[in-house]
Amino acid sequence: MVMKKRPKLRSIWVFHLNTGACNGCDIEILDVLTPYYDVERFGVKLVGTPRHADVLLVTGPLTRQSYYAVKRTYEAMPLSPRIVVAIGTCACSGGIFYDSYAVHGGIDKLLPVHMYIPGCPPRPEEIIYGVAQLVGLVEKHVRMEYAREDSIGFVLPKYPVSERIRLDLRDLLNKVVGYFDRDKILEDFLKLVEEAKKARDERARLRELIEEYCKKARDPRLCFCINLLEKEYWRLRELYEKKMVPPKIIPY
Amino acid sequence: MKWTIDRVIEIIKAKFGKYIKDMYRPMANQVIIVMDKSAAPKATLFLLKEAGVPEPQLSTVVGTDERPIRGMFSIIYWVSVNAEGGDAWIGIKTYLHEDDLKIESITPLHPGANWYEREIRDLLGIIPVNHPDPRRLVLPDDFPKNIYPLRKEYDYRSKPTVTPRHVFKRPAEGTVIVPFGPYHAACDEPYHFRLYVKGEEIVDADYRGFYNHRGIEKLAESRLTYNQIPFIAERICGICGFVHSTAYCQAVENAMGIDVPERARYIRTIMLEIERIESHLLWIGIACHLAGFDTGFMHAWRIREKDMWLAERLTGNRKTYGLNVIGGVRRDILEYRKSLALNTLSELKREYKEFVDMLSSTKSFIKRCEGVGVLPYNKAVAYSTTGPTARGSGRRIDVRKDHPYAAYGELDFKVPVYKDGDVLARAMVRIDEVWESIWIIEQALDKLPGGPLRAEIKRIEPYREALSYDEAPRGENVHYVMLGRGNKVYRWKVRAPTYNNLPAVPEMLKGYTIADAPLIIASIDPCFSCTERVLVIDVRTGEKKAYTEREFNYLSIRKSRR
Amino acid sequence: MSYVTLNYPFEPLEAPPEYRGRPRIDPKLCVGCGACSRVCPSDAIIVEDNYRDGLRRIKLDISRCIRCACCEEACPTGAIKLTREFELASPRKEDFTQIFELRLVKCSICGKPSDYTVRQVEKAKQILSHLPKEEVDEIIKRITVCRECRRKKTIRTTFESIPILGLIRA
Repeated sequence: MVMKKRPKLRSIWVFHLNTGACNGCDIEILDVLTPYYDVERFGVKLVGTPRHADVLLVTGPLTRQSYYAVKRTYEAMPLSPRIVVAIGTCACSGGIFYDSYAVHGGIDKLLPVHMYIPGCPPRPEEIIYGVAQLVGLVEKHVRMEYAREDSIGFVLPKYPVSERIRLDLRDLLNKVVGYFDRDKILEDFLKLVEEAKKARDERARLRELIEEYCKKARDPRLCFCINLLEKEYWRLRELYEKKMVPPKIIPY
Repeated sequence: MKWTIDRVIEIIKAKFGKYIKDMYRPMANQVIIVMDKSAAPKATLFLLKEAGVPEPQLSTVVGTDERPIRGMFSIIYWVSVNAEGGDAWIGIKTYLHEDDLKIESITPLHPGANWYEREIRDLLGIIPVNHPDPRRLVLPDDFPKNIYPLRKEYDYRSKPTVTPRHVFKRPAEGTVIVPFGPYHAACDEPYHFRLYVKGEEIVDADYRGFYNHRGIEKLAESRLTYNQIPFIAERICGICGFVHSTAYCQAVENAMGIDVPERARYIRTIMLEIERIESHLLWIGIACHLAGFDTGFMHAWRIREKDMWLAERLTGNRKTYGLNVIGGVRRDILEYRKSLALNTLSELKREYKEFVDMLSSTKSFIKRCEGVGVLPYNKAVAYSTTGPTARGSGRRIDVRKDHPYAAYGELDFKVPVYKDGDVLARAMVRIDEVWESIWIIEQALDKLPGGPLRAEIKRIEPYREALSYDEAPRGENVHYVMLGRGNKVYRWKVRAPTYNNLPAVPEMLKGYTIADAPLIIASIDPCFSCTERVLVIDVRTGEKKAYTEREFNYLSIRKSRR
Repeated sequence: MSYVTLNYPFEPLEAPPEYRGRPRIDPKLCVGCGACSRVCPSDAIIVEDNYRDGLRRIKLDISRCIRCACCEEACPTGAIKLTREFELASPRKEDFTQIFELRLVKCSICGKPSDYTVRQVEKAKQILSHLPKEEVDEIIKRITVCRECRRKKTIRTTFESIPILGLIRA
């Protein structure tokens, strides 16, 4: 992403238009003017009226009430270059409101869009990236991806515990520590189980390993989760081993 | 004698006993009293004005189409009792038959009910009789007249259209008028604010908003399930999104009787306060900008960035945290994130102290804010204003103290109240609240209990209802939920705090100059979109001048430079 | 040279490790169950079954994604995850889609495509690996039927389970 190009547009004057947004994206746009991100380095200036603007920054799903005002604003812009940039998921496609009675959809239902910047809300860096791409300083990264199952090998990862038990433990961890950390903690626990399986007394060895882990981790929350997992693991193993009698299948 | 909810119920029974048909308690601090259609508005007015309860507040008015359940429409007037009134929410409910959808309006006696009755008329078709201003409020101007979206037979996707028209109000009698043409909006643009002036002085104001009416309540009833609604609730407002998702989750948890685990309540409290800090810093920046003090704006937003980065590390995004689900939260605060938060807070405290010292010694800022936009105490009560707007006028109300929720009952903090009622008082309330928020987060991080993050959901009983409330950065935020079948909500009503504060703005503007108007409007910290323009009409000459928001704000900035 | 301004985009920048960026489906792990599509609040993931060609197409549109991570929470195999990518601007909307196509497994009675994918069957076999092989095969055979055959089977089984009517064989 090193820039060796010369920008195509210099000194862009933008007018910010909110067509019914929640204001999240609007604040990120105002944020881009603050010293940390400072989009004025690219010559971007916020103007107060569409009559002076080169670029229209649109946020929000196009609501029915703002439809007419948006049309008038677009028509007030000078005929060239009249660039429209849709910032945020709502402006790109309507987002979560896409089929409501009061919303038409994304801004492309009314105006031709030259740059889409998705996000909810997009980070200031994302907006800078979009503006830099518009100006010609960086290249586009994202592209459509298509894959067919037969050309990609299917991977069924193997774990030291049976899949049933693993899925149950994963579900428990979701309720205790949330979706973001659960996979990592589960991975750590399964590594300990694998290590413990090599010993003769599995239970005692697992207990030892867990205590070591807790001492190293120094995070009472991780300790709590691993201990809970251990308890649940033994409970599930007993439960499933007891019910190993196959169910009776009725032939028809 | 101390006030409790039972005492309030006794008072109502004493006066209106023969009209009461039913009474039930969805929760310990909420009661729904079902009354006759003729008595319900009178009982509400009685509670608000004559009963003598401390700081009564008309919190919200909910209209529901209950025809699939019992063949009638319903209206509930929710009145809350604050200050030392014990923790009480009184809902006065009445049923209306489809053929006779009229109810006596309470707006002539209590101006704070103005918008509620207009909204119910727009969305359900229940007509408030003798309402002084029965114009369309919420629906787009090009929506046909006799179609009501919130009725159950209306499909949430259908979009009927007519040509748009809107009527603005005529200025008051006694001001010199030169007729300025037709008021039909076919030849007139939809402006946000219309200011009627005599020379430089404002005599009246009118407001047309709801440009961001997206039909969220209808979407929640039709397409979304219980656990998907917190995500749309978060996108109601981009600055106070988390309070909406928390309030919704609390309402459903109250209705279902779920006990949220302690750790989840503390995490919700921490994120609510982080949101409050960044909202108030945003406001301080905007107020500085409007007062012509751009250095203050840049500094406030620079300090605010630290808070946003903290939110990003804790939840994954600067805004729209996506943390709430029914029964708890879905992302945890591990030890390293906790120490990150504590470090950020100590940096924040240091920088914020420097900033406040600089601000309080900037004479130009103080002079612009002092004595401007005064809202006297009695008007603040009449309009049921809430939040820093009310606390700046001397009303000692704060949902966190009066009706504790999440973990606030276990934490120690103060509520700043100022009596002057001007822009400076509201600014001081917000500045002080940032300190209190930092203190609350430190306490909560310190006391963060262990345990699970989510509660099990056992049974969902359809048609149970409950209210929930929290303190957004702008004021009291109230959500009402009635559970439904098929994993969907039957009715969800959102009442954002600015809804109560905006009708008070014309009162605040009267008598001040146009150059002060942007600062006064901004002082209630309004949460509306930034696209609109302001129209200024001189009632003496009939001259109209339209300003975009930036030009309008520039009038204010320029005044500081004179 | 400013001291506060970040030098992005002149220097690369990475999002913090907890950041929720765009979601991406890993085609090696996805089994095509469609759980992500059912929980997505903004319908950014759409599952379309093509019974004529026997294919299931999963379409992820990141221009409608609100990055709530509901899909990541619901996925049983960990195939869809929110990455940390945030450089997503583009002038064309087509760039925002990711499509993954899977084969539908054939009905064990009539041979037409059923409502399950081949990979789902593999995954189910893995979960049931504690049972003997013949039993697992029998269970799979009974479940993977197409809609029409399922309807017919249900009627026949219900009919035959009523003792008197069971004597009358269809």
